[in-house]
Amino acid sequence: MNENLFTSFTTPTMMGLPIVVLIIMFPSILFPSPSRLINNRLVSLQQWLVQLTSKQMLAIHSHKGQTWALMLMSLILFIGSTNLLGLLPHSFTPTTQLSMNLGMAIPLWAGTVVTGFRYKTKASLAHFLPQGTPIPLIPMLVIIETISLFIQPVALAVRLTANITAGHLFMHLIGGAALALTNISASIALITFIILILLTILEFTVALIQAYVFTLLVSLYLHDNT
Amino acid sequence: MAGPETNTQFRLTGIRKYFNSYTLTGRMNCVLATYGGIALMVSYFKSRSKKTPAVKAT
Repeated sequence: MNENLFTSFTTPTMMGLPIVVLIIMFPSILFPSPSRLINNRLVSLQQWLVQLTSKQMLAIHSHKGQTWALMLMSLILFIGSTNLLGLLPHSFTPTTQLSMNLGMAIPLWAGTVVTGFRYKTKASLAHFLPQGTPIPLIPMLVIIETISLFIQPVALAVRLTANITAGHLFMHLIGGAALALTNISASIALITFIILILLTILEFTVALIQAYVFTLLVSLYLHDNT
Repeated sequence: MAGPETNTQFRLTGIRKYFNSYTLTGRMNCVLATYGGIALMVSYFKSRSKKTPAVKAT
């Protein structure tokens, strides 16, 4: 039983040593590298999933954008698997930590922006002013567009953190409520338990959707800059 | 959104040829002018605060 609601979000340690790096590396062992032309069922299923996702996600990109295929596929697999593993009871979810999500969002966003400024400087600068803006509004709109550009990585990180953290907290609360209600009223406890099951199903979908949204937004920022 | 428009499409003359919100060049120049204006204002107020003493001697 946890001491309080937030113990599942503290950095895990084993015998005083932080093991968060091991936990972050753990999902990679669930994706074995294909070593044969025709692989076993698990590897074939993973290959099919990766092909399906990459075809859909990279269809909009030019040749330059498609060089980011490996990065984008690794990102969606990592975030998806980390989020799903975090739904196991008493596990630690690295994507609940804002530091980790900022560590993913800022370099990826900066990479797309630098790529855009390097290869399409004029278009990247012109992007700060929407076409057809009335003259009196130009300075204000340039400032607003600049602020919205710098907000992008923060929004990316906070979106993922908030969704996963809120979901885990909510499950913890509803689970605690269902347990406490068993001694008070069995029928209400049953309703709460059904709500908990529905919430768990929702959290599974949120885990996958948030991985997709994070990767899709990085892909869109890349598309704007290539 | 349509592709980058050129000046021949809009027939802009004078200063509007270089500073407008329709062509790629015009938009880029407006953005650079805005950033330049902000930089000038910041440097003006910084140099003014250095010259003006915080407390006047009595």
